[in-house]
Amino acid sequence: MSKIVSIHSFRGGTGKSNVTANLAVTIARAGYRVGIVDTDIQSPGIHVVFHLTEDRVTHCLNDFLWGDCAIEEAAYDVTDAAIGNVAESDDRPRVFLVPASIKTSEIGRVLKEGYDVGLLNDGFKRLTQKLNLDFLLIDTHPGVNEETLLSIVISDRLLLVMRPDQQDFQGSSVTLELARRLDVNEVSLIVNKIPPGMDRAQLKTKVETIYNTEVLALLPLNFELVRMASSGLFVNRYPTHPFTRELQLVANALTK
Amino acid sequence: MSSSQNGTGESSSHLDALLTRMKSAASPLREVLREIHAKYASLDDGNVASYIPELSKANPAWFGISAVSVQGQAIDVGDYEQQFTIQSASKPFMFGLGLEDHGREHVLSKIGVQPIGEAFNSITLDQVANRPFNPMINAGAIAAADLVKGKDYPERVTRMIDMFSRYCGRTVYVDNSVFTSERMTGHRNRAIGHLMLNFDMVSDQLDETLELYFQQCSLLVTCHDLAVMGATLANSGVNPITGVRAIEAEYVKDLLSVMHTCGMYDYAGEWAYRIGIPAKSGVGGGIVAVIPGQGGIGTFSPKLDVKGNSVRGIKVFEDLAQRYGLHVFEADDKKQSLVSQFSPPK
Repeated sequence: MSKIVSIHSFRGGTGKSNVTANLAVTIARAGYRVGIVDTDIQSPGIHVVFHLTEDRVTHCLNDFLWGDCAIEEAAYDVTDAAIGNVAESDDRPRVFLVPASIKTSEIGRVLKEGYDVGLLNDGFKRLTQKLNLDFLLIDTHPGVNEETLLSIVISDRLLLVMRPDQQDFQGSSVTLELARRLDVNEVSLIVNKIPPGMDRAQLKTKVETIYNTEVLALLPLNFELVRMASSGLFVNRYPTHPFTRELQLVANALTK
Repeated sequence: MSSSQNGTGESSSHLDALLTRMKSAASPLREVLREIHAKYASLDDGNVASYIPELSKANPAWFGISAVSVQGQAIDVGDYEQQFTIQSASKPFMFGLGLEDHGREHVLSKIGVQPIGEAFNSITLDQVANRPFNPMINAGAIAAADLVKGKDYPERVTRMIDMFSRYCGRTVYVDNSVFTSERMTGHRNRAIGHLMLNFDMVSDQLDETLELYFQQCSLLVTCHDLAVMGATLANSGVNPITGVRAIEAEYVKDLLSVMHTCGMYDYAGEWAYRIGIPAKSGVGGGIVAVIPGQGGIGTFSPKLDVKGNSVRGIKVFEDLAQRYGLHVFEADDKKQSLVSQFSPPK
């Protein structure tokens, strides 16, 4: 039975895309087929982490939304960049990515013309089926827009990424309220970019009390990650780092 | 203070509409409609109506399906935004306007509610009362158009258009080229009108009434509109998207009854038996159907069978009726709540 997980943050800069990419790899390593869709059409980015360069991309999510290709034609097997050393013949682990276009004209076209948001839903279902995915992770655009709301509606689980910051605290309650009104049952929080010296246990209690929602991971402010500048996958380079260990907890919660 | 409250109210209803739209986009019914659409899109039987030249210009490949619930959720697939002329699918709604203008007793003295096994354009009146048999055949529809009140012809047209606009939730317009085409070639309808005039079943404003009837048939609607119109009837006469009442609640059952028994031309009996929900078709390729208390379904595909009903449209309804136990006389344990299919499963 495949699971759809949306990763959202109300504000930009929470590290959502890096969390999504690294989480996808962590789940896949446990022996799963994982797909990632970048629905952040206005400001795509996750493809960079997987070294998916423009010359390799013939179709992207935008083409699917305009009816120019099937969703699976816009999916790229990025297992090599994500995990490496997986034999061609092995079904698992596998990581696939459906990127959004980074061409200015195509981003502009989406903003101007819009698209039938129901198609996204059709696409997610078809992709899960065609690629035989165990998990589909949806990297959403920060804030509230149609892609985000649709992703929340169809998710089995919503992961909300936030920083320990008053602005994030306030914004996240908006997303949680929307999730509640969209009847999403399973919502979990990930607190990211926790500065050194902050009391983690206290933070966890505080956040869980404010939102009455479970905190799955407390990710430290991560200078190594900043230094990598999205040039690769953190969990591969720093397998014992606290960031990696905490993400493992999220993966465990999703795969149990 | 009050203005900010209004502001909040408005934006929260925008949000509600957006959330509703998102739920519909992820609903199981959307997947079913897409599947059904794909299944019958390849069906190529039938012919595009050609009795007036304008209709024959329709693209035979057009195919749309829309469903709207009494809660205002909408699901649309295929060519649901393509405009086409409503044609006979307008008839029950005009009958409703006549009922509102004159009451049941007077209307029934002018138009019967009896199905006939003859073609929709037959020149026949009931032998005893000299009335047209029912408001779904041309004779009855012309008699119904005659009943529309107004101080002059423009006001009658305006009232007709306003009524359809309330059902659709948007301003509707007449396709002038179809209208011109209809009135140039409408000799048979004129003959029917004059026969009724002979029996005093229509007023001496017959020429204007015929113009009004041709206008009514030439209204441009979409498949989505038809579903909203159906949902309005399913919702006791209140448009579930705009919240505006389109017809007095007490007359809704009158419309549904004649749709149920006479709505599908001379396939009506078969339709009531096989599919079993009130519906009305038009030669433009549209079908509007009502699942009382649950919602409306509209289909659009211009290729018609020999009886004048959309070939793909009929297939869509057969399929849906079977899947969800839509037939009004279906055993309770086979009936499913169509409304619940508009939201993602819990």
